[in-house]
Amino acid sequence: MASLLQVTNVKKAFGNLRALDGITLNVEDKTVTILIGPNGSGKTTLLNVVTGFLKPDEGSIGFGSADITGLSPQQIYRAGIARTFQIPAMFGKLTTLENLLVAEKNHPGESLTKSLLKRLWAQQEKDAIEKASKILELLGMPEQADKPASFLSGGQMKLVEIGRALMSDASLYLLDEPVSGVNPTLAHEIFRRILSLREQYGITFLIIEHRLDIALKYVDYVNAMVSGRLIAAGPPKEVINDPKVIDAYLGA
Amino acid sequence: MDALNLAILFTVDLLALFSVYLIIDIGLNIQQGITGIPNFGILFAVAGGAYITAGLSTRLALPILGIQTNLDPISENVSILQLVNPVLSSHPVTAILLFVLFLIIGGAAGTIMGLIASAPAIRLREDYLAITLLAFGEILNVIGAGYTPLIGGPPGVDLPDVLAWAGEYRFYAASFVLLLVAVIIYAFAGYVIKTPFGRTLKAIRDNETVARALGKNITHYRTASIMFGSLLCGIAGSLWAMYSTAVTPTLARFDWTFLPWLMILIGGMGSNKGTLVGTAIVVTLNKLITYYKYAFVGILPFDVIWLNYLLLGIITILILIYRPEGIVKETSQTRQPSARKTASKQG
Repeated sequence: MASLLQVTNVKKAFGNLRALDGITLNVEDKTVTILIGPNGSGKTTLLNVVTGFLKPDEGSIGFGSADITGLSPQQIYRAGIARTFQIPAMFGKLTTLENLLVAEKNHPGESLTKSLLKRLWAQQEKDAIEKASKILELLGMPEQADKPASFLSGGQMKLVEIGRALMSDASLYLLDEPVSGVNPTLAHEIFRRILSLREQYGITFLIIEHRLDIALKYVDYVNAMVSGRLIAAGPPKEVINDPKVIDAYLGA
Repeated sequence: MDALNLAILFTVDLLALFSVYLIIDIGLNIQQGITGIPNFGILFAVAGGAYITAGLSTRLALPILGIQTNLDPISENVSILQLVNPVLSSHPVTAILLFVLFLIIGGAAGTIMGLIASAPAIRLREDYLAITLLAFGEILNVIGAGYTPLIGGPPGVDLPDVLAWAGEYRFYAASFVLLLVAVIIYAFAGYVIKTPFGRTLKAIRDNETVARALGKNITHYRTASIMFGSLLCGIAGSLWAMYSTAVTPTLARFDWTFLPWLMILIGGMGSNKGTLVGTAIVVTLNKLITYYKYAFVGILPFDVIWLNYLLLGIITILILIYRPEGIVKETSQTRQPSARKTASKQG
């Protein structure tokens, strides 16, 4: 199986704190991989480096066959990597549907000059609304479409974050704690939908999550990080029985 | 003069002021309300539009009307206008073309000011940006007062009367023309806000980090927003100069920064309709206070000239406490077609 994301020897320091200390990690194509590790082990920093929000001090990041090291977040989004945030961040005054529409790629109506002539963008807008409605259906929240996003519950916001990422037709999704603070039923539901998305569209997920009780049932691979380094990687059973992981993260 | 005539004059004068403010407020609302750029320096673009239009107006009118003279267009401006204005009043088509030309100049000047103001606007956020832009707003008054070739220094300069063709109805025609321009701009801004471009601006306002993660070029959109808003402010400045046919480097911060902010605050930021409502309320209130305040001379323990500041200040505080979102709340536009269908079936 080909690896879709290759992080090679990436280092990132904030002053004296070495958040990423030469991490090397691969995400295989069309898999669901989770990234675990104690708080402060560099998981979110890694995600920020991969998506261009932070520039790595050293090392390289490959996506498919391209080198995306040091590109801007816009360029990386266009290349096909979409992400969500740990704290669900909505465009609060836009509706749920509009939140998804903002994520539409290469929309001509988003340029000031082209927006002036409606026929230049009306068709893509129509298609985008159709696509967004389908995604909301898939996420089980079509009734929320016209509600302002700030009225949604925390769990629903998590779903909208995933939905917004799905609008991009990206091939790799980086989800930062998609089920934290979500009730167990909905959390299972979110993971089941992630699996069905993988089946339907052949997309790849790298997920940061602490809720191992739920996540481990659904994922193909687990990567464990401690102090900015990868300490274990492999199928769930292997990794959670690794003494190093038990010692650093899972506890006795 | 009877009361009816007085009321008509009051209203017509009010309409002109309302139109100019409406255009400024739409420009400010696009920046602050839609994009979240706290532009306390709209005076920069308004004054840019007014001063540059005024500075170029006589210089351009002379060759266009084919008038030859050795008089200086700025320092001997009054004598020149005695030659220019009679020609304008007898050539309505030329006058209207000049009006359009001056509007374009005002808009271009405003856009350039916007481009200059965007330099800090793409680097700074919130309060830092607000203070910087506030300072920008003062720059042109200093230049206008100090650099006489622009608008003649402190005494200012007169403009050719491009509305002189209306003769004795000039006062009414001017208000009507201003209102017409304002209505067109209102409709245009309403359209732009509803396009995906407007939606992207709102997304950036609500959460810049997520907008970046979704591939939006924040610098590009912030620049576009501030230039578009400044274009409108420049047009408003130019209209105001043409309406009053005289410009001095004294455009005040209270009138052209505080009042527009109060208007969008009362009307409801982010809403084009709210901008209209807020503008109407504040322009009318301010005018009424100005008109009636002298009736309180001797009754109030302070000079009545402070009444405008005092009363509008109180209103600002009350609005911020009791209705911080303004009178008209921002509404979203893009609806799901199926949801609308269901709703109409149920209805």
